[in-house]
Amino acid sequence: MIQYTVMPLDVVMSGMEDMKDHPMEVSVNGITMQVQPINATQASIVRIISPNPQDYLNPQYSPGRVIAFQPVISNSPE
Amino acid sequence: MTTFNQEQPQPQQPNPEEAKRNTVVDTIQQLGQTAAPAGESNIFCMTIIGQVEGHLVLPPQNKTTKYEHLIPQLVAAEQNPKIEGVLIILNTVGGDVEAGLAIAEMIATLSKPTVTLVLGGGHSIGVPIAVSSNYSIIAETATMTIHPIRLNGLVIGVPQTFEYLDKMQERVIRFIISHSRVTEEKIKELMFKTGELTRDIGTTVIGADAVKYGLINAMGGIGDAIRELNRRIEEKRQTSPGGMVQ
Repeated sequence: MIQYTVMPLDVVMSGMEDMKDHPMEVSVNGITMQVQPINATQASIVRIISPNPQDYLNPQYSPGRVIAFQPVISNSPE
Repeated sequence: MTTFNQEQPQPQQPNPEEAKRNTVVDTIQQLGQTAAPAGESNIFCMTIIGQVEGHLVLPPQNKTTKYEHLIPQLVAAEQNPKIEGVLIILNTVGGDVEAGLAIAEMIATLSKPTVTLVLGGGHSIGVPIAVSSNYSIIAETATMTIHPIRLNGLVIGVPQTFEYLDKMQERVIRFIISHSRVTEEKIKELMFKTGELTRDIGTTVIGADAVKYGLINAMGGIGDAIRELNRRIEEKRQTSPGGMVQ
């Protein structure tokens, strides 16, 4: 793997040991989006990842919007 | 349920039916019309921002564009008959060589009209992606940094290491010259120029210069990009037998 970038490699790689804060990727109604969980039941939309430009006009999925985001309790152990 | 955002009641990851109804109600209230502005687009838009992320997941302070997102999207764009043109918007600082070249090759081999628009920056591996389309446009203030690939990670000081690096570089250069009007001499001159960048060797090419060197087709903005793409889509409709397949 070779990084070909204008950013210094130490800047790119800093925080490699602490990868906890990655936004989660979820799919809502077929639109992939990155969300940041806020608490046990909510998450806020970081960005949507869609090739359809019209999706960005949908006010329901605008970045910063808080959506319900719940862990599902399953009885069957993993 | 309680929400942080009090002004807007939150959707409970609504089922499509309910979401649709809400959108319609919202549209009537906000725009005084029933038709929602959202719809299907015949243009497929891909934004390549931040670092192009490849085989390695980068730490979270990086904004990244992941190739596992883009590659299936490009497959879908090629396969979906409703999509007639692809617009790629670049504002990238570079990234993984393999991922970048993979994306560039995918764009270059699409059978549908493609237009790339470089805004802000299209540096390093962004350069082959920028030139991969049928027609490339650069904003007047946008820059492209053309510089040699630097070695990173564990380096063994043997001649083979240098040869390997040279090969990696050759892949990028060959792609650029075969997809743009720039000559091999010119791109190598830009890449290995000393004294222009403070950190390293290489050249920063701004808007008009990128067009002058033949890297990019024209200078312009989003209006020009959409106009060019629509023109190419129209041209393709005229030439393809039986018109558009729906």
